[in-house]
Amino acid sequence: MTKKRLGVVGVIAAATMAFSALVVPSAYANNEIVVWADGDRGPNLVKVLAEKGDWVSGYKITVKSFSNFDALKEAFDKATDASGPDIVMGANDWVPTGAKSGKLAPVTLTAAQKARFTPGQLFDLTYKGKLYGVPVDVNNVAMIYNTDIVKTAPKTFAEMVAVYKANKTSKSLKAGLCVAGGGMSWGAHSIFSALGADAYQFNSRDQIVYGRSFNGTTFGKNVRTLLLDGGKKSNGFLPASDAGCKDNFIDGKVPYAIIGNWEWKDYVAKGFTMNLMPVPGVVANKPGKMFGSVSGALLTTFAAKHGVEAGAKSLLTNFFGSTDGQVRYQKIEGRPPAEKGAALDATVSAAQRGFGAAASLSSLPQIGAFLNNNAGGANYWDSAPAYWTAVLVDGKDPVTEGNKLAAIWRANTTAGKSDL
Amino acid sequence: MTSFFRGKVSFAFKLVVLLLIGSVLVTLTQSAFAQGEFLIAAFLAITVLLLAITYLTKVSIPLKFFLPGILLLVAFVLSPIIFTVTMSGYNYKTGNIISKDEAIEQIQNRGFESDADGTSFDIKIGRYQMGEAILVSDSINGAYFISTETNRVPLNPADLTINEFGVAESAPDFEALADDEFATADETYSGKRFKYQDEFFIALEGFEVGIVSRQVLAYDVDKDQFNNIVSGEVYVDNGRGNYAIADNPDLYLEPGWRAPVWFENYTKLFTEERLRGPLISVFTWTVIFASLSVITTFALGLLLALALNKPIRGRRVYRSILILPYAMPSIMSILIWGGMFNTEFGAINNLLGTDIAWFQSALFAKFAIILVNLWLGFPYFYLVSSGALQAIPSELLEAAAIDGANPRQIFRRITLPLLLQILSPLLIASFAFNFNNFNLIYLLTGGGPRAELDGELAGATDILISFTYKIAFGSSVQDLGLASAISLVIFLLIASISLYGLRKSKVLESFQ
Repeated sequence: MTKKRLGVVGVIAAATMAFSALVVPSAYANNEIVVWADGDRGPNLVKVLAEKGDWVSGYKITVKSFSNFDALKEAFDKATDASGPDIVMGANDWVPTGAKSGKLAPVTLTAAQKARFTPGQLFDLTYKGKLYGVPVDVNNVAMIYNTDIVKTAPKTFAEMVAVYKANKTSKSLKAGLCVAGGGMSWGAHSIFSALGADAYQFNSRDQIVYGRSFNGTTFGKNVRTLLLDGGKKSNGFLPASDAGCKDNFIDGKVPYAIIGNWEWKDYVAKGFTMNLMPVPGVVANKPGKMFGSVSGALLTTFAAKHGVEAGAKSLLTNFFGSTDGQVRYQKIEGRPPAEKGAALDATVSAAQRGFGAAASLSSLPQIGAFLNNNAGGANYWDSAPAYWTAVLVDGKDPVTEGNKLAAIWRANTTAGKSDL
Repeated sequence: MTSFFRGKVSFAFKLVVLLLIGSVLVTLTQSAFAQGEFLIAAFLAITVLLLAITYLTKVSIPLKFFLPGILLLVAFVLSPIIFTVTMSGYNYKTGNIISKDEAIEQIQNRGFESDADGTSFDIKIGRYQMGEAILVSDSINGAYFISTETNRVPLNPADLTINEFGVAESAPDFEALADDEFATADETYSGKRFKYQDEFFIALEGFEVGIVSRQVLAYDVDKDQFNNIVSGEVYVDNGRGNYAIADNPDLYLEPGWRAPVWFENYTKLFTEERLRGPLISVFTWTVIFASLSVITTFALGLLLALALNKPIRGRRVYRSILILPYAMPSIMSILIWGGMFNTEFGAINNLLGTDIAWFQSALFAKFAIILVNLWLGFPYFYLVSSGALQAIPSELLEAAAIDGANPRQIFRRITLPLLLQILSPLLIASFAFNFNNFNLIYLLTGGGPRAELDGELAGATDILISFTYKIAFGSSVQDLGLASAISLVIFLLIASISLYGLRKSKVLESFQ
């Protein structure tokens, strides 16, 4: 190589280094707390923080939004020390896997801070005795009915089926009850429960009972009586899929629908009143239990690596877990706030209260350790919709399939005990 | 043209391009280095060096042409293969993702417990006698003290400035940090444990609150074990990426780390009934699916090529139309077909006047998959067959006709054998592609139908790659080590089948 060429190479090397130094991506600044959230919560957080941003003195709070909840979960699963968030707005069933994988860090709340939440809400974000975040919003569904078709709130499941059959032809009904929010597993639990199939069992002292499941035969017989014609074919009351439910309900083609608390504004906009209630049971006053869970602001282990652990913990308690923070946030987000003070705030809407009231009437804690477990051959999320397909589409015997379902859920609960 | 490649302008252009590529690569190098990805950083640095040497000197002219390909091959083909092979020998799954050092650090960080009363204090952070300290307000008992890592100094309330909530704001010799200093002090203070009493310490939970805790799990570096100071339990390295109690392996600490288990992931495939059963049926269906896909697409493609090989009216239009399915993004086609097969509102049931639940029945679902793949694949074989037909010397066909062979005999004895010899590598490549045709299965049936209530792990239309995906990402426990092992088995299967096919067709010999 000639001296001239060497000089050129040297110049290029220097220019390359200089140029790249200009464009090198900045690492997290040590006064920046990064929060990851999904496409709904993220933009709303940005709005709230734009109104008031000084929740932790000396820190800048940056919110990164992902297109949807699945995208957020995928990104969090792949997050690295350099790219990961300090706080992530996640579901309660992220806690066991996040803690196992070393991505979530425990937080310790004072007695006063704990008192702002119900024990069940804190339990939702606890794994093996450690709390991994603060509850932010309550996630649940509730049943709504169309007052143009149904004049009074139903007291039993059979009453709803009777209404459907009576109006099926005259009102061109496409179904009697459908699941618009939460899908045929999470959203449909209250239907399972109303017909006698709870995902796991509690005793009279509210303790989980291991090694026992619902009675598959009783449940199957209820399904046969209420959802099938002639014991085999679906009577059309409950579709096996949630496809089209929301539109059909809004169009007046379905009298009862299970809706999520994140979408009530869509129904209010169409003129529906929030006459929310649990799904009535086989007998009166024994409604089906819906999953009542919380989403939380979860502390990550990345916060310590970014040197903002104390700041992130302060943000959790000062903003995410405070009355003021949740009132401001839920005013925009529109879900029922988890924090007790915020839930009682005058600005909380009737719909938000309605979901809270329905949950208080009949709900079941959402325990990821059982629901995500597949020791029985399939987890709750796969086995629940599979039951509806098997019975309502494939025409399989509801009792036989009910007993299979009971065995799966029993095995999952037993195996999930070690993850609590 | 020659002067452009050799002149000063070309040299300047080359410099600019190299500068830009080099800048991007150096940026990526720094980023990789900052994230602790030292292997990637080293590879990128070497790449920059190689690019500079190759394109600014005359060390090797051929290398100027080969280098980009070689670098991309290493980055996107060899590295993933090496990583997959390595990880197939590891216990690498949810709960065993991080390194051992990180796991030890996190177990230590989690290995504390609050005191029985859950005592917490309002605190102010600052400095005392040149060291980090906290000013602690026990407002319930009216007690105040300064706590450092080694000392606890009681304070007289009369000497303090106390706010309306009973929280001390300042104390003699205690220099509280200003709000704007919190961020810079965060890392220093977060890791500190300030003296309380006996084995209990105060740890920060934010800047305003301190929690009284004690360390329960202590790491013994010499013995590489964790000791539970309270219960006396000893957790030793179980050789599988967790610290566990020796005589009760089910009791282990989390998180674990990725640890070598050598061939365990491979033996699992044959010893675990949960995997062995579905693996055999999935493998069988994979071979059938790949074979049927190749046979049907090739047959239809060839048929159309033969039909359009003769001068007929509107041949160009037909050819253009036939290529359309190939020109359309396959993902879109698959999704549209998925809609057409919908039981309630799908076009196929509407046209046939049936209410077949296509994706609920194993047989119908398999038929649907083969049909959709035929739609997606036949234009390719139509194109290559058309080309190959042109390559067959017309003299051969004419001679056969003169010798009295009928068209069927000509096709069977001359055209098809010659075509097969030309197209064999493509048929084998198509088989290999379909063996791993993840998109089609995932988007059309999701591997289903699957009898979840019967505990089936694999669906009726799952092929090996979609089954692998289910194991790796399909549940809350992501078993990446096991998925890597299955991937490697798939790789070996395809390589063996391809090699066998190529040898059988004697194509390699004809290319030599």
